[in-house]
Amino acid sequence: MTKPFASVRALAGAFALGLLVAACGQPESETKTADTAPPADAGVVNLYTARHYDSDLRLYERFTELTGIRVNRIEGNPDTLIARMQSEGEASPADVFVAADAGALWRVQDAGLFQPANSTMLQEAIPANLREPGGHWYGFSRRARIVAYDAAKVRPEEVDTYEELASPRFRGKLCVRSSDSVYNLSLVGALIEVWGEAKTRAWVEGIVANMARQPEGGDRDQIRAVGAGICEVAITNSYYYIRLASGEDAGDREITERVKLAFPSLDGRGAHVNISGGGVAANAPNFDNAVKLLEFLASPEAQSLVAEYNNEYPASPSVTVPAPVSAYAPFEAHPMSVARYGPRQAAAQAMMSQAGWR
Amino acid sequence: MGLGAALVAILPLIGVVATALGDGQADIALSDLSRYALTSVALSAQVAVLTAVLGVTAAWLVVGHDFPGRRWLSWALALPLAAPAFALAYGYADLFDAAGDLRIWMRGTLGVDMPFEMRSLGGAGLILSLAFYPYVYLAMRAALLNQSSQAIEAARMLGASPARAFFQVALPMARPALAAGVALAVMETLADYGAVQFLGVQTLTTGVVRAWFVFGSVEAAARIALPLLAFAAVLMWIERMGRSGADHDSGRGRWRPLTLQPLPPVKAALATGFCLMLVGLGLVLPLGWMAHTMIDITPEWPRLIAAARHSVGLAVIAALVTVALAALLALGSTRHPLAARIASLGYATPGAVMAIGLLIPAAVLWRLVPGSVGGFGMGIALLIYAYAARLMAAAFEPIEAGLTRVTPSVVQASRMLGRSETGTAWAIQLPLARGALFTAALVVFVDVMKELPATLMLRPFNVDTLAVMADNYARDERLANAGWPTLLLVLLALPAVLWLTRKISTSRPGEP
Repeated sequence: MTKPFASVRALAGAFALGLLVAACGQPESETKTADTAPPADAGVVNLYTARHYDSDLRLYERFTELTGIRVNRIEGNPDTLIARMQSEGEASPADVFVAADAGALWRVQDAGLFQPANSTMLQEAIPANLREPGGHWYGFSRRARIVAYDAAKVRPEEVDTYEELASPRFRGKLCVRSSDSVYNLSLVGALIEVWGEAKTRAWVEGIVANMARQPEGGDRDQIRAVGAGICEVAITNSYYYIRLASGEDAGDREITERVKLAFPSLDGRGAHVNISGGGVAANAPNFDNAVKLLEFLASPEAQSLVAEYNNEYPASPSVTVPAPVSAYAPFEAHPMSVARYGPRQAAAQAMMSQAGWR
Repeated sequence: MGLGAALVAILPLIGVVATALGDGQADIALSDLSRYALTSVALSAQVAVLTAVLGVTAAWLVVGHDFPGRRWLSWALALPLAAPAFALAYGYADLFDAAGDLRIWMRGTLGVDMPFEMRSLGGAGLILSLAFYPYVYLAMRAALLNQSSQAIEAARMLGASPARAFFQVALPMARPALAAGVALAVMETLADYGAVQFLGVQTLTTGVVRAWFVFGSVEAAARIALPLLAFAAVLMWIERMGRSGADHDSGRGRWRPLTLQPLPPVKAALATGFCLMLVGLGLVLPLGWMAHTMIDITPEWPRLIAAARHSVGLAVIAALVTVALAALLALGSTRHPLAARIASLGYATPGAVMAIGLLIPAAVLWRLVPGSVGGFGMGIALLIYAYAARLMAAAFEPIEAGLTRVTPSVVQASRMLGRSETGTAWAIQLPLARGALFTAALVVFVDVMKELPATLMLRPFNVDTLAVMADNYARDERLANAGWPTLLLVLLALPAVLWLTRKISTSRPGEP
């Protein structure tokens, strides 16, 4: 019981500090309060986005600059956002939902959380296979799920189809991330769509047999593992490779001089591509602004900005591809509708788990 | 009142159970589920053993022995509490990545590789133990300090060796503290999502997330979560059992500090080295590595500062609210002991599971109060509620410990002199336990700074915290960018942890 008063003063001081911090935090937040739940004509659009790239913020700033509509934003992974929208019900403030995977967009639609946005601008700007036929969602950028290979050990013609990745040629020489990755789920979903269950199952089993190690890390880690000689081939999304090749880290750039990118073909019709896209939420309080945001994201300027900032490919063939993506742009993309991936995802996950793809 | 506070904390868990009863299937093979469950058990066991060994050793060294650096190491040893487990995971996974510079150099120059991977069960166990050993250390340190030195000295005089005096007298007397510390570490392990997910170790939480996200079934996810809740309940029970009948650390005897055992030079150097290693591995090495990788990155300062303000603001408000609720619970715990136990379950509940449960009370609020969904105030209130439900146990433990040190005779005297129950609480119990209240507030503050799943799920528009920013970068595989928010988070949490540990290191019986 030494110095009881010192403790009391410390305690009081800490509480005062707490109140001060809370008070300081308030004014800035208060101004935001005014924006978050306004009447429908106040020039706001509420965005739930599963994309979380810094560059997207610059995109929204540009939208506000052009239209005067302010963008309120919650980032999260697609399924927590879906669960949140379901809990919110009709009270949901969400206007636009954006995700970086066609399968995730399908899940939103399947949960009845999208409504059609029939805008001629959107339908003209976005190719038919990159949007949902009913207008529930639209793709604004593309990414290919392809192969990074060790140029010293693998010839390009050894990785020009997806089948070859599962062949004995690469026994113990392949790196790929976990089957939890939505990109792998969409890829296997697409394979089921094209090949049917039996052939895809054999392929998945071949991939598991070929793994150089248990799946760990993300796509970037797989590319770096090829660079370090742990495996010879890796499955990756295109932008991770382009990011390493054009990034600030000298070590990463050096890796991409030895590790090259191949675009395998699916049944001779091109590489598997996925999209980033969005749609209008079912209970959108600001429907018109929501469509305006989608139209902005589909505009050549926005598509080009996304390609530049995040190394993705524009969805529209007419949009000029900026550097550094342009160096990797001339490839053939499979024309399958991206709307087919989602319904196959559960089957894909079950198949991969059974085959031991962790 | 205590019951009310318990209800607040328990609501999300009722939500999970209610959800689990619904229809909904996820096609996850039983073999996968049992593998997830076994991994969870194995991970918890590793963390329990390793944190116990590390924490007890450090506490015994610091309390009972004299060696160079003892004074400052005694509080520095608790500093890893300031770093979230996911930060350690980022640092270690990157530093020891099979394709990283270090391993390439090892293979090339030394001709040997690391014998094990950080991204594995063993690696995750090690990383989480380094993150959570301070719970055991702090609990043990307080217990050993509060022990009357007479028992140990008596043992020594009766001819027991120092080791025997420790294992047969000091350690058994501190058993309740050990149980409590290890229980906290294991609960944090079960609740962790960020670190284990990042390391690719598939625990029951993976199953929950897979059922929910891939198979789109919240109900199936909730069913997988039930064993986790049961596990948490068992831990609570163990912790309680360890405590009952172990009253000898209440310091009723004349208090005198343990005489410091001087160590011969070699042993002293080893003792210093051991403590330095713990601080180094638990904080300096992983964060130093992150600082090293982020040095080339120019952060977006306005976003970073806004996120820091949100983190601190939320943590301060959550600390005040949670401590108030936990104090109510602790005051009522003599009459409703079960309520207190159950309310603490939230602490061991994995973030993803808690998120499922939280959506149910949230949905009621969102639908009853029009405009509350987009509203800033309501959004913040919901988030604070989530933190309180999740961290009730963290605040409850020290407060209850503080209140039990107020001997019942004092309370009875106050009641006999005519004060009401509430009056006694205000006039006698809470003032006497103010140190414990403050400790609890700091614990909640630090935990909210590090909190991820509930924040991700429930925050209102345009509110990013530092933890959320770090998580976003890590998911986007931009680890170097994740360094800035992570380090800022640690820097902001550090003063609280420092205060906490200095406070504890000068605490005496009767003034926790």
